[in-house]
Amino acid sequence: MVPHLEDPLKAPAMVEVDGAFDPGAEVFADLPEAPMMEAVAKGTRRNSAFGRFAAWVFGLLFALVLAVQAWRFVTGLWAAIPWLGYVALGLLVLALGVAAVQAAREGLAFVRLSQLDGIRQAALRAHASADLAQARNVVARLDRLYAPRPTMAAARAKLAQSQADVFDADTLLRLTEEALILPLDALACAEVMAATRQVAVVTALIPLALADVVAALLANLRMIRRLAEIYGGRAGTLGSWRLLRKVFVSLLATGAVALTDDLIGSFAGGGILARLSRRFGEGVVNGALTARVGLAAMEICRPLPFVAAKRPGVSATVAQALAGLVSRKAEASALS
Amino acid sequence: MSATELRAGVLRGKVLPDRVVRLGVTGLSRAGKTVFITNLVANLLARGRMPALNAADRIEAVYLHPQPDMTLPRFAYEEHLAAMTGDDPHWPHSTRAVSELRLSFRMRGRGVLGRVLGPQVVHLDIVDYPGEWLLDLGLLDKSYEDWSDSVLDRLSKRPEGAGYLALARAEDGSLPLDDPKATALAQAFTAYLHAARQAGLADCTPGRFLLPGDLAGSPALTFAPLPKPASLPKGCQWAAMQARFEAYKTHIVRPFFRTHFARIDRQIVLVDVMEAVHRGPTALEDLRRTMAEVLLAFRHGKRGWLDRIMGTKRAERILFAATKADHLHHRQHPNLTALTEALLDEAKARADFAGAETAALSLASLRCTVEDEIARDGMVLDAVRGRLADGRRIALYPGELPSDPARLLGPARAGAPRWLNADFALMAFEPARFAARAGSGPPHMRLDRAAEFLFGDLL
Repeated sequence: MVPHLEDPLKAPAMVEVDGAFDPGAEVFADLPEAPMMEAVAKGTRRNSAFGRFAAWVFGLLFALVLAVQAWRFVTGLWAAIPWLGYVALGLLVLALGVAAVQAAREGLAFVRLSQLDGIRQAALRAHASADLAQARNVVARLDRLYAPRPTMAAARAKLAQSQADVFDADTLLRLTEEALILPLDALACAEVMAATRQVAVVTALIPLALADVVAALLANLRMIRRLAEIYGGRAGTLGSWRLLRKVFVSLLATGAVALTDDLIGSFAGGGILARLSRRFGEGVVNGALTARVGLAAMEICRPLPFVAAKRPGVSATVAQALAGLVSRKAEASALS
Repeated sequence: MSATELRAGVLRGKVLPDRVVRLGVTGLSRAGKTVFITNLVANLLARGRMPALNAADRIEAVYLHPQPDMTLPRFAYEEHLAAMTGDDPHWPHSTRAVSELRLSFRMRGRGVLGRVLGPQVVHLDIVDYPGEWLLDLGLLDKSYEDWSDSVLDRLSKRPEGAGYLALARAEDGSLPLDDPKATALAQAFTAYLHAARQAGLADCTPGRFLLPGDLAGSPALTFAPLPKPASLPKGCQWAAMQARFEAYKTHIVRPFFRTHFARIDRQIVLVDVMEAVHRGPTALEDLRRTMAEVLLAFRHGKRGWLDRIMGTKRAERILFAATKADHLHHRQHPNLTALTEALLDEAKARADFAGAETAALSLASLRCTVEDEIARDGMVLDAVRGRLADGRRIALYPGELPSDPARLLGPARAGAPRWLNADFALMAFEPARFAARAGSGPPHMRLDRAAEFLFGDLL
């Protein structure tokens, strides 16, 4: 075909271009990054800009009121009784200092907790990409985390020795999990079981309504705090609350179905106990809930995902925890 | 297991019968079968370096039988291990005969049932043999005519084959058989086979010509490829050669296959991919075709219920392993594995389709290098450091294997004389001395993963 020179659009054209290209990779170059994940993130985004602004305004206002009140209080005292004013000022400064130290400690605890999170994320990434360098980095971070613990020195030394023989990310991570995390898992499980037992007993024995709820809540908080300590975070008070919130979010997000499942099991299992006593039945149900919270907290605090070890099951944990309780109770009743 | 044995076991309080796993170690000559078997056994006896073997903590005891088979010599494990780990470590000599080995594990049972039933014994049987003989498996499906044609065709492309080719072309196959002449032909062909093997070519069939053992000079080993003549009178040379070729297949290859390979449960295919890449496209293509032919002989796939009743064995798991991975920095291992997978793709796809489990990995049966770095032109190259046969210690960066295996396999298939824009230099490292560690075998790379894949589920 002869090109029409007056219409350049119809004429064939060929230009030499520079640069390499890859038809295999090009397809994915312009795709938006995981649109589904984005949508999910958007849906679950916590605060809108306005919400954060509102919180900021209210917070500032509250702080201002507090500061002005404190200042008035001190100056008022000064005017009335000067030496008491000095005492008040000293106490105020001391209180501020204590608050600052407390805040710093809480902040540190936050950092440590998020460090655990970071290690787990890095481990997951190393696992997915089979990248040995990343896996070695994860192991080094874990090693630093547990360096101050004398009880783990032997396990760390053994791991350091066998690490040289491993050339695959998944094997290395599994080896690390077995050497360092598995012993901690046993401690954590014991902690969860103790809390489960405690909540079950408290629910069954404390006669006051609401008092058992408070006791269960405290037991749960303490358990979560202990779990974080076992795995190397050192959750402060705020950290524990934050963890508790995270645990409940994860329970709702991932395990709502499992939760009901377990609870049905617990109801059915607690049936015989419930026949004997309504309160015992409630105790079993509350205990099961505590175990569920504990296992979720374990997963959140654990610096490596469950790969080598099986995730402990709720029913088994409850059964084991309460088996100890019942047999001990049976013994106690036999003795009396 | 006989009834007597079963009764004796029950009387001793043992409920479960012993289990036997036959591991087929397949690899051409110089692929590293002997070293693989030796160090696998050493590391199973002392399991300090086997973190990936999950069942390791349930092994109560491992025992190497002094005499597993009455009719076969035992694998000279101690001798080979001494060669590899002695004061002056070196590679064991190449294998010249078949030998067998049996390793027995006493396994602690799993769970409550396992505790009630007591420990179970699992035997692992491994056979070592000259890799040259493995090539013959590719002959099983071939007629003399096909084989002759393909060999003569290949000879014409190789400088080593010129001598024999001239001889064979001059021969008239329709003449009556003359034994001295046949012997001369067979000898000339054997000389070519030796030359081809020296040049690093993989397919040197028939393998017994290279290592005849006590069969040297027998008629079954006195044949050679000849072009088919136009007419075939009775008793002619070509027909006689054909008869001897068939005899070779029925009396030598088939019994070898039947006794050692037809009944394997698990198979590992060892391939020295790096050496082939180093030698160039011809060697790589040669290796690919040879392995594809050899692996055709094996029966892969899942054992069905009928197989269990009939006692038919199939190789249920096949591991394709590139050996000598320690000659390469671990960063390049994924590329080596990908190349191995692509190289043996034909066999792998067939085994996958038959329902067998397959995997590929890069391993070093005996690790004789450490990782090192070389600075060049302001860049840091990932190298390995090792010891050469002449005693020098070098750090080597062999070059970059492409991440896309087609970059190598494509030119190899097309018959390129050498790699276009890739250079791959390889040195033969000798085993290094290492400090023994209590409870651990000699160092290796991924032997534990190989063991876990091959028989970890049966322990």
